[in-house]
Amino acid sequence: PAMAARLLLRAARPLLAGAGRGTGLGTGLGPGLGTALSTAPPPEKKRWLRAYLELQRLQAPPQRRSEKPNWDYHAEIQAFSHRVQENFSLDLLKTAFVNPCYIESEEARRRQLGLAKEAVALQLQDNAGLAERGLRFARAYLGQCFEGAYPELPAKGVEALVNFLTSQELVSYVAQNLSIQDLTLCRDFPVPPDVLQRTFLAVIGALLESSGPERTGIFVRDFFIPQLIGKDLFEIWEVVNPMGLLLEELTKRNISAPEPRITRQLGVSTVLPVYFVGLYCDKKILAEGPGETLLAAEEEAARVALRKLYGYTENRRPWDYSKPKQGLAAEKAISSN
Amino acid sequence: RYVRQLQRLQLLFSPTAADARGARQFVEEAAQDFARQHPDVVLYVSPRSGPGPAPVLRAEYLNGTVRDELIASKTSEEIVQLATKLANQSGLDIIRIRKPFHTDNPSVQGQWHPLTNKPSILTIQGPRPQPQ
Repeated sequence: PAMAARLLLRAARPLLAGAGRGTGLGTGLGPGLGTALSTAPPPEKKRWLRAYLELQRLQAPPQRRSEKPNWDYHAEIQAFSHRVQENFSLDLLKTAFVNPCYIESEEARRRQLGLAKEAVALQLQDNAGLAERGLRFARAYLGQCFEGAYPELPAKGVEALVNFLTSQELVSYVAQNLSIQDLTLCRDFPVPPDVLQRTFLAVIGALLESSGPERTGIFVRDFFIPQLIGKDLFEIWEVVNPMGLLLEELTKRNISAPEPRITRQLGVSTVLPVYFVGLYCDKKILAEGPGETLLAAEEEAARVALRKLYGYTENRRPWDYSKPKQGLAAEKAISSN
Repeated sequence: RYVRQLQRLQLLFSPTAADARGARQFVEEAAQDFARQHPDVVLYVSPRSGPGPAPVLRAEYLNGTVRDELIASKTSEEIVQLATKLANQSGLDIIRIRKPFHTDNPSVQGQWHPLTNKPSILTIQGPRPQPQ
């Protein structure tokens, strides 16, 4: 009867701990059930403790994945290299995940445990050098990409785009979604974004050492450039005086200064007017922009004109991911040194 | 490039229970082939002895979702199919999709606003003639 009851219970039992254990079989066989359900904590003997223990489990501080059961670091690192479809040399990759804060905390822990001086010093190298090399390569490569794709964009614009793509939030977001947080060796958990950024750049540096600049360039292109989809140029690049910038650009191309004129206006005497200001050069329209006040509309028109001049409009051709640029290979090799 | 969203699969089953027979057959026959075909998924096999809870296949995804699938009284082929299904999913929650279509570029020629196709002031009023 006990066996039969247990089998019945197993067939009828749902996955989650709290739901559906209200049948009479639950409490009597509680201690006899042995190990826990898959998602629940150790089995409570009393049904009325269930809610409290579930609350405790939800409020417990987050734990690293490496401290939970079923974790094999070597297998995880191999799976990471397959997931990203790149051939890494595994020791370089393992060094890339080691952070300086981890080494310090480990040495402090060993010293506290009272080990001898030789045992205290860890044999691990940290990822600072790899991170720096990865950052330099990524910035150089992305700069070249943008100069090739948008030749009209000035140096400050390219720098703003590259800074945005190598900024902490973006890189740590990409790293989180590539499971780098589980693989990093770091002192605190959850891993702070600058550590994630450094680890990801170190991974890029390790790839650079293992596979060479071409493959690393394709890697950087595949993971960073899609983050620009849907973003507008002036969201990324803060321009204080677009009219002044536009005047400089036009003088470079020997076009006369733009003349702003109101093209359309709506609701002038209301609280929410809309003015469309068009910029005309030699009586030919350059750009048109809307705004709440005349000044705002003129500034917006200047921004639209700049977007058209730099070729970064919303209806530009999407990024060309087809072929790796052969001509850049030599320059990449020079820039990464 | 394509990054498989499934991080790891944990196969938790009991070595003696009757409903874990499919799981045991899967481990003996098909688990190695599955692991070889999917080198970017880490497969953990952890038999837990003694009368335990139902055998379960736990899938962890890159965005942190953990999904448990019961494999009690399933055959080995069904478990292989289930595992491939989990491997091809992303970790997004399985909820009702409100609309079966989505677009990032809702407008190609520019969205209509009340002033499109209206002649501008200049064509209505014309440029003022300069006083001669």
